[in-house]
Amino acid sequence: MLSKRVHAAWFVVHFLIITAVCFAGVFSLIAAGSTVLPSALDKYARKAELSATFFLGKEATAYSPVRRGIATYLHAAGIEAGYTFFAPNIPGYHKLTLELYYEDGRVEYESPHMSGKAAGLRLDSLLDRLADNRYEPIREVVVKMLALSIWRDHPEVKKIRATFGAVTPPGISDFEHGKGETLQPMFSYDFSLREEKQ
Amino acid sequence: MSLPRRYWENFMDFLFPPETDGWLAVLRIGLGLQVAIYALFLRSDWHHLFASTGKSLVSRKLGEAIASFDSPLIPKLGWLITLGGYAHIGEDAVLSIAWACLLCTGLLLLLGLFSRPAAIIAWFLHLCAAESGGLFAYGADNFMTTGLFYLMLSPLPDRYSLDHRLLKVELRGPQLLGFWRRVLQVHMCFVYFVGGLAKCLGSGWWNGSNLWRSLTRPPFNLISPDILVRFKYVLPILGISICLIELGYPFFIWIRKTRLFWLVCILAMHAAIGLAMGMYLFALVMIVLNVAAFGIGMSKRQPLPSEVTADGESTEQHTGVSGRPGFGTSPRGG
Repeated sequence: MLSKRVHAAWFVVHFLIITAVCFAGVFSLIAAGSTVLPSALDKYARKAELSATFFLGKEATAYSPVRRGIATYLHAAGIEAGYTFFAPNIPGYHKLTLELYYEDGRVEYESPHMSGKAAGLRLDSLLDRLADNRYEPIREVVVKMLALSIWRDHPEVKKIRATFGAVTPPGISDFEHGKGETLQPMFSYDFSLREEKQ
Repeated sequence: MSLPRRYWENFMDFLFPPETDGWLAVLRIGLGLQVAIYALFLRSDWHHLFASTGKSLVSRKLGEAIASFDSPLIPKLGWLITLGGYAHIGEDAVLSIAWACLLCTGLLLLLGLFSRPAAIIAWFLHLCAAESGGLFAYGADNFMTTGLFYLMLSPLPDRYSLDHRLLKVELRGPQLLGFWRRVLQVHMCFVYFVGGLAKCLGSGWWNGSNLWRSLTRPPFNLISPDILVRFKYVLPILGISICLIELGYPFFIWIRKTRLFWLVCILAMHAAIGLAMGMYLFALVMIVLNVAAFGIGMSKRQPLPSEVTADGESTEQHTGVSGRPGFGTSPRGG
């Protein structure tokens, strides 16, 4: 009987945590104004999101054992993210174009790539993350690493210009009228690789 | 009996229904296949994804630093590499060993050999990879982690495993089979309810534009847009159907009359995602979790706890268990 009670207690706590994670995700979408709900609800959604994240210990200091304990459990059980995939709307995708400048004045265009299709899908996932404001602090580092991975295949390149942009594919009617996708550059970096080598 | 007491008993009856281990065999075999395919799909890019320098696309250390910001206790490949360092094994070698171990655990799970250690190691290694490569992770990784997490906690082995058939390992904790299936079932209900709710809040799922966008954006654009345009009037119907199927899942999957229909719809949706968008790993893990949760033995009569025995034969006449779906009987093994 004790074992059953322990299991029942774990069940309740486990699903309370999942509820908090899921609803934090949904409220975050509402608060961001990306749903069909009226904007008057945004501030309430933000409050509800904060309550949910508070329950998950995210308002505690980074060194708080409670916060770390909950975070470890969430990751261990694979429940750290809500299930709002492909919702509420499908955003465009993102592209990283690398312009390779050679000593002799040649310019080539490359994109980071993987050999397998499964890993390629993961690379696209990385690029979509980079567009998110939460990843702004590491954008330059990541883009620099991606540029370096290309440079390893082209060691004679003098400079790389990395341009990151959001691509908006055409809607159905636009496609029927022959319109193509549009690229909106978001940021770009110049990497001088000779200096990097030194 | 007092009202709270009655609620408590009903709750416990819900949590610990009598259950056979067919669903556990499906979960074990399905996740074994999933882990093996995951390892094989990433074989050529494993070092590109997880090396810290040299071959890496983005240094593993960056992903690990982000995971450590959440908590330094989250398992990472860096732990294994540090351990390997003590034995003078280089990073490349440790990564290759980790990959090989992951593939082996997948195959062991598939066969049901050393089921529990294989499930624990598979969960740990996959978690390490998912966290170290967190920047590259997507939904399939979360579901794999969750599936393996539940699998390693479930009362393995099952009667179809080689552990039981060849090594004669006793079936342990049959009273927990129902509990862990309930956990998986309730979890799936959360997944679809929240997914469906979030989709319903987006206008694009009601007019078909989200379906168009998801099928035409790289790398999911396996079907030519010219073909999709021909079926443009079907897209809103499909979009709304997806919303309703997901949102209705936690209600209609429990009703005996609608369960099969709902399950078939969900499985068809995931099969279509896999085939039309190339998300094979995501599709497979969702199909496995759904079949394990609601696909096996759910349409038949509820089995009695005494049916779960080591040799898989009914022992009802020996135990004299009544029809009450309780789990008070002692675990039976051997």
